[in-house]
Amino acid sequence: MVNYITDLSLIDYTAYALQFLLIFIAVAIVVHKNNGTIIILIASFSLVTASLYVINNAPDVAIAEVAIGSAIIPLIYVISISRQREFIVLDKAMDDFIISDNQFTGIGYILLKRFSDFYHLELNITNDPLLCRLGEGKDQILCEQTNVDLIVSKDPASGEYILKGKASNILMNKLEQMTKDYDNIRVIKFKDRDFGE
Amino acid sequence: MSRQIVLILLLGALFAVFTMSIIELEGLYNAFGKEYFLEYGQSDTGSNNLVTAILLDYRLFDSLFEAGILLIAVSGVIWISKHDIEEKNARFMIDKFKTPDLFITFSRLVYPLMLAFGFYVIINGHLSPGGGFQGGTIVATAILILYYIDADKETNIGLIVTVEKIVYLLIIVLASVSIVTRGTFFTNFFPLDATQDTKAIYLVLLNVLIGFKVALGLWTIFTAFLKEGR
Repeated sequence: MVNYITDLSLIDYTAYALQFLLIFIAVAIVVHKNNGTIIILIASFSLVTASLYVINNAPDVAIAEVAIGSAIIPLIYVISISRQREFIVLDKAMDDFIISDNQFTGIGYILLKRFSDFYHLELNITNDPLLCRLGEGKDQILCEQTNVDLIVSKDPASGEYILKGKASNILMNKLEQMTKDYDNIRVIKFKDRDFGE
Repeated sequence: MSRQIVLILLLGALFAVFTMSIIELEGLYNAFGKEYFLEYGQSDTGSNNLVTAILLDYRLFDSLFEAGILLIAVSGVIWISKHDIEEKNARFMIDKFKTPDLFITFSRLVYPLMLAFGFYVIINGHLSPGGGFQGGTIVATAILILYYIDADKETNIGLIVTVEKIVYLLIIVLASVSIVTRGTFFTNFFPLDATQDTKAIYLVLLNVLIGFKVALGLWTIFTAFLKEGR
């Protein structure tokens, strides 16, 4: 009988310790800045919650919590974040603005490189012929439906380089600020449309 | 300033209502349901796991709509991530995304074990903790690991969604068979005085169908996420 009571209180103490740990992890998730660390913290949050469910005699809920909270949700986050790390530029201008002599030395490249380094993004420049052949009017649809973040094209009349991107992309504001001093660069932001419009 | 005062007053009122409702609940609480399920649950439904007994027999009507919610969520994800142009994503000059070799080797070892554990949880849903939903989630995670092993794997989303819908219809049909044999909707179709092993056939069938459906639904969601950036 005595043994039973001490066992019970040990479980109680464990539950209290886990609850404090839960608050600790929750604060850490909010405070941390590194995305990878946050994913691991979310997964550990679910594990601690699952052990609390087991202590409270709910193993069914605990299995669901482990499977969803610490396997599926972190994996989906990993997929989403690995997609977000790139800044994809479609080069429609095809002249020495970005590539000169088959090397990335153009003034536009230096500008974009500085910009993507500022946000710790990987700059990825493409000149996919299939996408470049699409007309000017298709640019907004291109930005919305593919993962291209920025389109670089040249205005044949004035010789200005035009950078086009979505207005909802907060990075565009920074890009506009950075290119303010250049006379031959213009930034155009597309307004977002509602679904089905 | 006045807005903040009103806000604080509203929050106080909300807190008071909340506390009162908890006090009310204290008076309403009784152990009737718990005792009923403990006494009759196993003989009524043939399930050792009382959670499964409630989920797949006493409250099957609620479970059907829970399964429907996942179907609606999947439709929503597919609708939002729909692309009109085929082959629309750019081929890159520099493709730097590569999965580490260690992770691939380890995934190949873990994948069959995860699949087996998922099926175990589904099939033993009426005997041990777990069931269709939990097991289906584990199977879906195992399938997701396949995508890390082979990044260029092609998936036909349309086929998966169609099969999922058919399986959902099968669940509803299986749940409604009891109107013919027993005269009531949404319960075990074997008679009430059948042995526990006979009743378990129905539970295993329903658990397998639900697990299948959940795994397919989550698979679709992963594929939508993976296709988004490719």
